[in-house]
Amino acid sequence: MKRTEYPAALRDLIVQLRQMPGVGPRSAERIALWMVQARSDHPANIARAITETRAAVRPCRRCGFFATAELCEICADESRAADQLCIVEQPTDILPLEKTSAFRGLYHSLGGRISPLDRVAPEDLRIAALVERVEKEKPNEIIFALAADVEGEATTSYLVELLKKYPVTLTRIAHGLPAGGGLESADELTLYRALSGRTKL
Amino acid sequence: MNLRDLQLRNFRCFASYAAEFAPGFNFIVGPNGRGKTTLLEAACVLLRLQSQRSTNLAPALRLGERSFVLVGHASDHRLQFYYSALRRKVAFDGVEQRDLAEYLSLARVVSFANHDLDLVRGPAELRRRYLDFIGAQIDVRYRPALRAYERALRSRNALLKSAHPRPRELAAYTEPLVRSGNLLRELRSAIVRRLAPRAAESQRQIGGGQEMLGLEYAPGSEEDFAAQLARARAEETRLRLTTVGPHRDDLRLLVEGRPAAPFASEGQQRTTALALKLAQAQIFAENFGAPPLLLIDDIFGELDAARRNALLGCLPNEAQKLVTATSLAWREGNLEGPILRL
Repeated sequence: MKRTEYPAALRDLIVQLRQMPGVGPRSAERIALWMVQARSDHPANIARAITETRAAVRPCRRCGFFATAELCEICADESRAADQLCIVEQPTDILPLEKTSAFRGLYHSLGGRISPLDRVAPEDLRIAALVERVEKEKPNEIIFALAADVEGEATTSYLVELLKKYPVTLTRIAHGLPAGGGLESADELTLYRALSGRTKL
Repeated sequence: MNLRDLQLRNFRCFASYAAEFAPGFNFIVGPNGRGKTTLLEAACVLLRLQSQRSTNLAPALRLGERSFVLVGHASDHRLQFYYSALRRKVAFDGVEQRDLAEYLSLARVVSFANHDLDLVRGPAELRRRYLDFIGAQIDVRYRPALRAYERALRSRNALLKSAHPRPRELAAYTEPLVRSGNLLRELRSAIVRRLAPRAAESQRQIGGGQEMLGLEYAPGSEEDFAAQLARARAEETRLRLTTVGPHRDDLRLLVEGRPAAPFASEGQQRTTALALKLAQAQIFAENFGAPPLLLIDDIFGELDAARRNALLGCLPNEAQKLVTATSLAWREGNLEGPILRL
């Protein structure tokens, strides 16, 4: 006997929704049912928002952050200090740094890190664009804010080798204790690193 | 630390089984294939969440079952471990744990088995793993350094194997390799310095005062690891892999000043394997203020009476010991402890 299923169109929607990150079979089914049953025009608004956003948002030509024009909000802001350049792995790494308000310079997102095990080579990253920027914008300081793991360290070291011929100070963000947390809340290794990287008062 | 009791469900040959243990000696006796070793394995998995028998826990599932459960009490805490192919759950005093630090801080385990002989006769990799196992438990820097080193090494080897030479990327990955490699060398060398006198003392006691055991760290990297790598570049390019570094480390074992594997007698080699494990137990006892649980799997039958008695004399008195054997014919009157028959 043939088992009754959802109509093909609805099944196809479920399959499409499952492509999204974080959406499993159950959620995909629930979302799809809501989309076809909702009495409001929310589903149509969402569909329009997706199409419009995809057309409007692109990477900033200069730094790689999300932009709706040629340049993103940060690069277009003329009050920002152009003599400091902060290098991050992903465009999403920029927002947490922005929230601190501690940095008023510009960013450059690489779009990943050099990783032979994941088959990511330097030419897959925005490294040529970085060198071009350094030559043109002549920053005084380049700050490396890459992850403190093997790939982050290797990528930093690769870029340092590439950029050391330019008259620019190269720095790396410090690693240490989380702010506001007491010593008892830090894991042993973080505490160890904070202790060996202590600063003079 | 004392393991008071242990319950197994769907663990290897046991559908459901419960055992109680006393402080000091506990004897587990039965013919082959009844699950003596499995009981020791269950104790090790419950306390350390890993098996001394295999790197993966899937083989510990009872045939046809999808999950196993281990429950036990150690030092007045209730430990619970649930395992299935899809998920593992760890509870400490009934509270599910995300961070395993508190759970794992409760107990250490040192296991003695006949295959320890491979530590003496087998490849250097086994001796590196022995050092790694100790290092990971006594220094917080050890595990991250080892992981970083292995990752940098695999990355570097992938670059050396690629069709086009990539000297700049290779240089970039040499940096984390050297940094983690130097730390690993320093940590391993410190472990061997601590092990050496303790292992030598144990060998002397078990071997009847005549056998001299020397432990030497034979590092695969030099003081200036970076310079050594630079010198090895031509060979690396030819062989397409990293030829020097801590992945080539060895722990050299010398009996009477000569390498143990080719020269020492079978009995001396067995003693050396025991001495390494006893030294490990001592280091754990010193670092954590309490002796580890000793799992002793069927080794007394293989030793002559003199070595057996000497070994018994070396086992720390305060330590709890689970001893398996096919028979207790070797046991002498002074060795008291409950007997569990399987």
